[in-house]
Amino acid sequence: MPDTLLNEEPLPYALPELDLTAPLDRHRAVVKDEWVDWNGHMNMARYMEAFDYASGAFHTQIGMGRRYIDNKLGMTFVLEAHITYDRELRGGAPLRFTTQLLDHDAKRLHLFHQMFHAEEGFLASTQESMIMHIDAKTRKSSPFRRVVQERLALMAEAHGKLPKPAKSGRLIGIPRR
Amino acid sequence: MTDLPYPIEPLDLAAPLDRHRATVLKEWIDWNGHMNVGYYIVAFDKATDTFCNQFGVGWEYTHRKIGMTFVLEAHATYDREVKEGDPLRITTQILDHDAKRVHCIHAMYHADEGFLAATNELILMNIDFASRRGAPWPAETMRRLDTLAPIHARLPKPPQAGRVIAIRKK
Repeated sequence: MPDTLLNEEPLPYALPELDLTAPLDRHRAVVKDEWVDWNGHMNMARYMEAFDYASGAFHTQIGMGRRYIDNKLGMTFVLEAHITYDRELRGGAPLRFTTQLLDHDAKRLHLFHQMFHAEEGFLASTQESMIMHIDAKTRKSSPFRRVVQERLALMAEAHGKLPKPAKSGRLIGIPRR
Repeated sequence: MTDLPYPIEPLDLAAPLDRHRATVLKEWIDWNGHMNVGYYIVAFDKATDTFCNQFGVGWEYTHRKIGMTFVLEAHATYDREVKEGDPLRITTQILDHDAKRVHCIHAMYHADEGFLAATNELILMNIDFASRRGAPWPAETMRRLDTLAPIHARLPKPPQAGRVIAIRKK
Protein backbone atom coordinates (compact mmCIF):
# COMPACT_ATOMS: atom_id res chain seq x y z
CA MET A 1 0.00 0.00 0.00
CA PRO A 2 1.43 3.41 -0.90
CA ASP A 3 2.57 5.43 2.06
CA THR A 4 0.00 8.16 1.46
CA LEU A 5 -3.12 5.96 1.54
CA LEU A 6 -4.99 5.85 4.82
CA ASN A 7 -5.65 2.35 6.13
CA GLU A 8 -9.42 2.27 6.67
CA GLU A 9 -9.61 -1.25 8.09
CA PRO A 10 -10.99 -1.62 11.59
CA LEU A 11 -8.89 -3.28 14.27
CA PRO A 12 -9.69 -6.99 14.78
CA TYR A 13 -10.31 -6.59 18.52
CA ALA A 14 -12.42 -4.42 20.82
CA LEU A 15 -10.97 -1.07 21.86
CA PRO A 16 -11.27 0.29 25.40
CA GLU A 17 -13.62 3.18 26.04
CA LEU A 18 -11.51 6.26 25.24
CA ASP A 19 -10.32 8.07 28.36
CA LEU A 20 -10.25 11.78 27.54
CA THR A 21 -8.91 12.81 30.95
CA ALA A 22 -6.06 15.26 30.31
CA PRO A 23 -3.39 14.33 31.03
CA LEU A 24 -4.01 10.58 30.83
CA ASP A 25 -3.69 9.33 34.40
CA ARG A 26 -4.04 5.54 34.31
CA HIS A 27 -0.65 3.93 34.69
CA ARG A 28 0.61 2.74 38.10
CA ALA A 29 3.73 0.75 39.04
CA VAL A 30 6.04 -0.08 41.94
CA VAL A 31 9.85 0.29 41.98
CA LYS A 32 11.16 -3.28 41.82
CA ASP A 33 14.07 -4.24 44.08
CA GLU A 34 16.09 -5.30 41.03
CA TRP A 35 15.79 -1.75 39.67
CA VAL A 36 17.89 -0.43 42.60
CA ASP A 37 21.60 0.09 41.92
CA TRP A 38 24.77 0.48 44.02
CA ASN A 39 23.74 4.06 44.87
CA GLY A 40 20.76 2.65 46.77
CA HIS A 41 18.15 4.16 44.44
CA MET A 42 16.30 3.32 41.25
CA ASN A 43 18.89 3.12 38.47
CA MET A 44 18.67 5.81 35.78
CA ALA A 45 18.17 3.26 33.01
CA ARG A 46 15.17 1.72 34.78
CA TYR A 47 13.31 5.03 34.60
CA MET A 48 13.30 4.57 30.83
CA GLU A 49 11.94 1.06 31.25
CA ALA A 50 9.23 2.29 33.65
CA PHE A 51 8.24 5.06 31.23
CA ASP A 52 8.03 2.52 28.42
CA TYR A 53 5.16 0.83 30.31
CA ALA A 54 3.42 4.20 30.72
CA SER A 55 3.79 4.63 26.98
CA GLY A 56 2.18 1.20 26.62
CA ALA A 57 -0.85 2.41 28.59
CA PHE A 58 -1.21 5.32 26.14
CA HIS A 59 -0.84 2.96 23.17
CA THR A 60 -3.62 0.74 24.55
CA GLN A 61 -5.92 3.78 24.59
CA ILE A 62 -5.38 4.43 20.89
CA GLY A 63 -5.84 0.76 19.94
CA MET A 64 -2.15 -0.03 19.58
CA GLY A 65 -1.36 -2.10 22.65
CA ARG A 66 -0.05 -5.62 22.87
CA ARG A 67 -2.78 -7.02 20.59
CA TYR A 68 -1.72 -4.68 17.81
CA ILE A 69 1.76 -6.23 17.91
CA ASP A 70 0.51 -9.79 18.36
CA ASN A 71 -1.78 -9.40 15.33
CA LYS A 72 1.28 -8.21 13.38
CA LEU A 73 -0.51 -5.01 12.37
CA GLY A 74 2.50 -2.82 13.10
CA MET A 75 4.50 -1.42 15.97
CA THR A 76 5.95 1.82 17.18
CA PHE A 77 9.60 2.72 17.59
CA VAL A 78 10.93 5.45 19.85
CA LEU A 79 13.10 7.78 17.77
CA GLU A 80 14.23 10.06 20.54
CA ALA A 81 13.72 10.51 24.28
CA HIS A 82 14.64 13.11 26.90
CA ILE A 83 14.57 12.35 30.62
CA THR A 84 14.87 14.65 33.60
CA TYR A 85 15.79 13.01 36.91
CA ASP A 86 14.10 15.14 39.52
CA ARG A 87 14.21 13.05 42.67
CA GLU A 88 15.52 9.69 43.87
CA LEU A 89 13.26 6.66 44.38
CA ARG A 90 13.80 3.66 46.68
CA GLY A 91 12.81 0.04 46.14
CA GLY A 92 9.09 -0.51 46.77
CA ALA A 93 8.08 3.10 46.05
CA PRO A 94 4.61 3.31 44.44
CA LEU A 95 4.55 5.24 41.17
CA ARG A 96 1.86 7.15 39.34
CA PHE A 97 2.35 8.25 35.73
CA THR A 98 0.58 10.88 33.68
CA THR A 99 0.88 11.26 29.92
CA GLN A 100 0.23 14.35 27.83
CA LEU A 101 -0.05 14.20 24.04
CA LEU A 102 1.95 17.26 22.94
CA ASP A 103 1.73 16.81 19.18
CA HIS A 104 1.14 14.22 16.50
CA ASP A 105 0.98 13.81 12.76
CA ALA A 106 0.03 10.92 10.47
CA LYS A 107 2.96 8.78 11.60
CA ARG A 108 4.36 10.27 14.79
CA LEU A 109 3.47 10.88 18.43
CA HIS A 110 5.12 13.45 20.66
CA LEU A 111 4.44 12.45 24.26
CA PHE A 112 5.32 13.85 27.67
CA HIS A 113 5.19 11.57 30.72
CA GLN A 114 5.53 12.56 34.36
CA MET A 115 6.40 10.07 37.11
CA PHE A 116 5.20 10.86 40.63
CA HIS A 117 5.61 9.10 43.96
CA ALA A 118 2.02 7.86 44.23
CA GLU A 119 1.68 8.49 47.97
CA GLU A 120 4.01 11.41 48.70
CA GLY A 121 3.06 13.16 45.48
CA PHE A 122 6.47 14.53 44.52
CA LEU A 123 7.67 14.58 40.90
CA ALA A 124 10.42 11.97 40.46
CA SER A 125 11.11 12.26 36.74
CA THR A 126 9.81 13.33 33.36
CA GLN A 127 10.23 11.77 29.93
CA GLU A 128 9.51 13.35 26.57
CA SER A 129 9.54 11.12 23.52
CA MET A 130 9.09 11.04 19.78
CA ILE A 131 7.49 7.83 18.58
CA MET A 132 7.07 6.58 15.00
CA HIS A 133 4.57 4.11 13.65
CA ILE A 134 6.22 1.21 11.82
CA ASP A 135 4.72 -1.20 9.30
CA ALA A 136 5.11 -4.83 10.49
CA LYS A 137 6.13 -6.14 7.07
CA THR A 138 8.45 -3.46 5.72
CA ARG A 139 9.75 -2.32 9.16
CA LYS A 140 9.57 1.21 7.76
CA SER A 141 7.46 4.15 8.90
CA SER A 142 3.81 4.20 7.85
CA PRO A 143 0.66 6.19 8.79
CA PHE A 144 -1.55 5.22 11.71
CA ARG A 145 -4.86 3.59 10.78
CA ARG A 146 -7.88 5.84 10.50
CA VAL A 147 -9.39 4.46 13.71
CA VAL A 148 -6.15 5.31 15.57
CA GLN A 149 -5.97 8.76 14.00
CA GLU A 150 -9.56 9.44 15.08
CA ARG A 151 -8.71 8.60 18.67
CA LEU A 152 -5.56 10.70 18.51
CA ALA A 153 -7.53 13.68 17.21
CA LEU A 154 -9.94 13.46 20.15
CA MET A 155 -7.10 13.17 22.65
CA ALA A 156 -5.17 16.01 21.00
CA GLU A 157 -8.20 18.26 21.41
CA ALA A 158 -8.52 17.40 25.12
CA HIS A 159 -4.78 17.54 25.83
CA GLY A 160 -4.29 20.72 23.79
CA LYS A 161 -6.06 22.64 26.53
CA LEU A 162 -3.27 21.84 29.01
CA PRO A 163 -0.33 24.24 29.32
CA LYS A 164 2.96 23.14 27.77
CA PRO A 165 4.88 21.36 30.55
CA ALA A 166 7.79 23.38 31.97
CA LYS A 167 10.16 20.44 31.55
CA SER A 168 9.31 19.77 27.90
CA GLY A 169 11.35 21.06 24.97
CA ARG A 170 14.61 21.04 26.90
CA LEU A 171 18.11 20.65 25.57
CA ILE A 172 21.03 19.40 27.62
CA GLY A 173 23.74 21.75 28.82
CA ILE A 174 25.52 23.18 31.87
CA PRO A 175 24.01 26.63 32.47
CA ARG A 176 26.57 29.40 33.08
CA ARG A 177 25.93 32.15 35.56
CA MET B 1 49.65 11.52 44.15
CA THR B 2 45.90 11.71 44.15
CA ASP B 3 43.42 12.53 46.87
CA LEU B 4 41.60 9.23 46.31
CA PRO B 5 42.59 6.26 48.53
CA TYR B 6 42.81 3.64 45.76
CA PRO B 7 44.70 3.24 42.48
CA ILE B 8 43.13 4.75 39.37
CA GLU B 9 43.69 3.39 35.88
CA PRO B 10 45.99 5.49 33.65
CA LEU B 11 44.19 8.33 31.86
CA ASP B 12 43.38 7.43 28.25
CA LEU B 13 43.92 10.52 26.10
CA ALA B 14 42.09 9.15 23.05
CA ALA B 15 39.33 11.42 21.74
CA PRO B 16 36.62 10.30 21.96
CA LEU B 17 37.19 7.79 24.74
CA ASP B 18 36.88 4.40 23.01
CA ARG B 19 37.17 1.72 25.69
CA HIS B 20 33.70 0.28 26.22
CA ARG B 21 32.52 -2.93 24.53
CA ALA B 22 29.35 -4.96 25.13
CA THR B 23 27.05 -7.52 23.55
CA VAL B 24 23.24 -7.25 23.22
CA LEU B 25 21.85 -9.74 25.74
CA LYS B 26 18.81 -11.97 25.15
CA GLU B 27 16.93 -10.32 28.05
CA TRP B 28 17.33 -6.90 26.39
CA ILE B 29 15.07 -7.93 23.46
CA ASP B 30 11.38 -6.92 23.45
CA TRP B 31 8.16 -7.84 21.58
CA ASN B 32 9.40 -6.01 18.53
CA GLY B 33 12.35 -8.40 18.21
CA HIS B 34 15.02 -5.77 18.86
CA MET B 35 16.80 -4.19 21.83
CA ASN B 36 14.20 -2.39 23.97
CA VAL B 37 14.49 1.38 24.41
CA GLY B 38 15.13 0.93 28.14
CA TYR B 39 18.05 -1.43 27.60
CA TYR B 40 19.87 0.98 25.32
CA ILE B 41 20.06 3.13 28.44
CA VAL B 42 21.22 0.14 30.52
CA ALA B 43 24.00 -0.41 27.97
CA PHE B 44 24.90 3.30 28.03
CA ASP B 45 24.91 3.31 31.85
CA LYS B 46 27.63 0.65 31.78
CA ALA B 47 29.60 2.87 29.38
CA THR B 48 29.16 5.67 31.93
CA ASP B 49 30.79 3.33 34.50
CA THR B 50 33.75 2.84 32.14
CA PHE B 51 33.95 6.62 31.74
CA CYS B 52 33.74 7.24 35.51
CA ASN B 53 36.51 4.70 36.16
CA GLN B 54 38.83 6.93 34.12
CA PHE B 55 38.24 9.68 36.64
CA GLY B 56 38.37 7.60 39.81
CA VAL B 57 34.64 8.02 40.50
CA GLY B 58 33.41 4.51 39.68
CA TRP B 59 32.53 1.56 41.91
CA GLU B 60 35.37 2.08 44.42
CA TYR B 61 34.32 5.69 44.95
CA THR B 62 30.84 4.64 46.08
CA HIS B 63 31.87 1.35 47.72
CA ARG B 64 34.23 3.31 50.01
CA LYS B 65 31.40 5.75 50.81
CA ILE B 66 33.22 8.79 49.41
CA GLY B 67 30.73 9.84 46.78
CA MET B 68 28.50 8.91 43.88
CA THR B 69 27.66 10.26 40.45
CA PHE B 70 24.02 10.94 39.60
CA VAL B 71 22.58 11.57 36.16
CA LEU B 72 20.48 14.74 36.21
CA GLU B 73 19.24 14.66 32.66
CA ALA B 74 19.58 12.43 29.60
CA HIS B 75 18.69 12.60 25.92
CA ALA B 76 18.72 9.52 23.71
CA THR B 77 18.48 9.21 19.95
CA TYR B 78 17.58 5.81 18.55
CA ASP B 79 19.25 5.65 15.18
CA ARG B 80 19.10 1.99 14.19
CA GLU B 81 17.84 -1.32 15.57
CA VAL B 82 20.21 -3.86 17.12
CA LYS B 83 19.46 -7.55 17.72
CA GLU B 84 20.38 -10.22 20.24
CA GLY B 85 24.09 -11.05 20.17
CA ASP B 86 25.12 -7.92 18.28
CA PRO B 87 28.53 -6.64 19.40
CA LEU B 88 28.52 -3.03 20.54
CA ARG B 89 31.21 -0.40 20.74
CA ILE B 90 30.45 2.74 22.79
CA THR B 91 32.53 5.90 22.61
CA THR B 92 32.28 8.89 24.95
CA GLN B 93 32.98 12.56 24.22
CA ILE B 94 33.20 15.22 26.92
CA LEU B 95 31.28 18.32 25.78
CA ASP B 96 31.60 20.47 28.89
CA HIS B 97 32.35 20.28 32.60
CA ASP B 98 32.49 22.43 35.71
CA ALA B 99 33.42 21.93 39.37
CA LYS B 100 30.55 19.49 40.00
CA ARG B 101 29.24 18.39 36.62
CA VAL B 102 30.17 16.72 33.35
CA HIS B 103 28.25 17.06 30.09
CA CYS B 104 29.08 14.20 27.75
CA ILE B 105 27.66 12.19 24.88
CA HIS B 106 27.96 8.46 24.29
CA ALA B 107 27.71 6.99 20.77
CA MET B 108 26.79 3.31 20.36
CA TYR B 109 27.99 1.55 17.22
CA HIS B 110 27.56 -1.95 15.90
CA ALA B 111 31.13 -3.11 16.56
CA ASP B 112 31.46 -5.18 13.35
CA GLU B 113 29.24 -3.35 10.86
CA GLY B 114 30.18 0.09 12.14
CA PHE B 115 26.78 1.79 11.92
CA LEU B 116 25.57 4.20 14.60
CA ALA B 117 22.79 2.55 16.65
CA ALA B 118 22.08 5.25 19.27
CA THR B 119 23.44 8.19 21.22
CA ASN B 120 22.98 9.23 24.84
CA GLU B 121 23.79 12.75 26.01
CA LEU B 122 24.05 13.20 29.77
CA ILE B 123 24.62 15.61 32.61
CA LEU B 124 26.44 13.81 35.45
CA MET B 125 26.78 15.38 38.86
CA ASN B 126 29.18 14.52 41.65
CA ILE B 127 27.35 13.71 44.90
CA ASP B 128 28.80 13.70 48.39
CA PHE B 129 28.11 10.29 49.95
CA ALA B 130 27.15 11.54 53.41
CA SER B 131 24.96 14.50 52.48
CA ARG B 132 23.64 13.00 49.16
CA ARG B 133 23.96 16.49 47.69
CA GLY B 134 25.97 17.94 44.81
CA ALA B 135 29.62 18.60 45.72
CA PRO B 136 32.87 19.51 43.90
CA TRP B 137 34.73 16.67 42.15
CA PRO B 138 37.76 15.20 43.98
CA ALA B 139 40.95 17.12 43.05
CA GLU B 140 42.34 14.21 41.00
CA THR B 141 39.05 13.87 39.08
CA MET B 142 39.05 17.60 38.31
CA ARG B 143 42.69 17.46 37.21
CA ARG B 144 41.87 14.62 34.82
CA LEU B 145 38.76 16.38 33.47
CA ASP B 146 40.79 19.54 32.90
CA THR B 147 43.37 17.45 31.02
CA LEU B 148 40.96 15.53 28.83
CA ALA B 149 38.26 18.14 28.09
CA PRO B 150 40.47 20.35 25.84
CA ILE B 151 41.52 17.27 23.84
CA HIS B 152 37.87 16.25 23.32
CA ALA B 153 36.98 19.86 22.49
CA ARG B 154 38.95 19.51 19.24
CA LEU B 155 36.36 16.99 17.99
CA PRO B 156 33.36 18.38 16.12
CA LYS B 157 30.16 18.64 18.17
CA PRO B 158 28.06 15.58 17.23
CA PRO B 159 24.83 16.46 15.37
CA GLN B 160 22.85 14.45 17.98
CA ALA B 161 24.01 16.76 20.81
CA GLY B 162 21.87 19.68 21.99
CA ARG B 163 18.67 18.50 20.37
CA VAL B 164 15.13 19.51 21.32
CA ILE B 165 12.33 17.01 20.68
CA ALA B 166 9.71 18.24 18.19
CA ILE B 167 7.82 17.27 15.06
CA ARG B 168 9.39 19.52 12.44
CA LYS B 169 6.56 20.66 10.19
CA LYS B 170 7.27 20.95 6.49
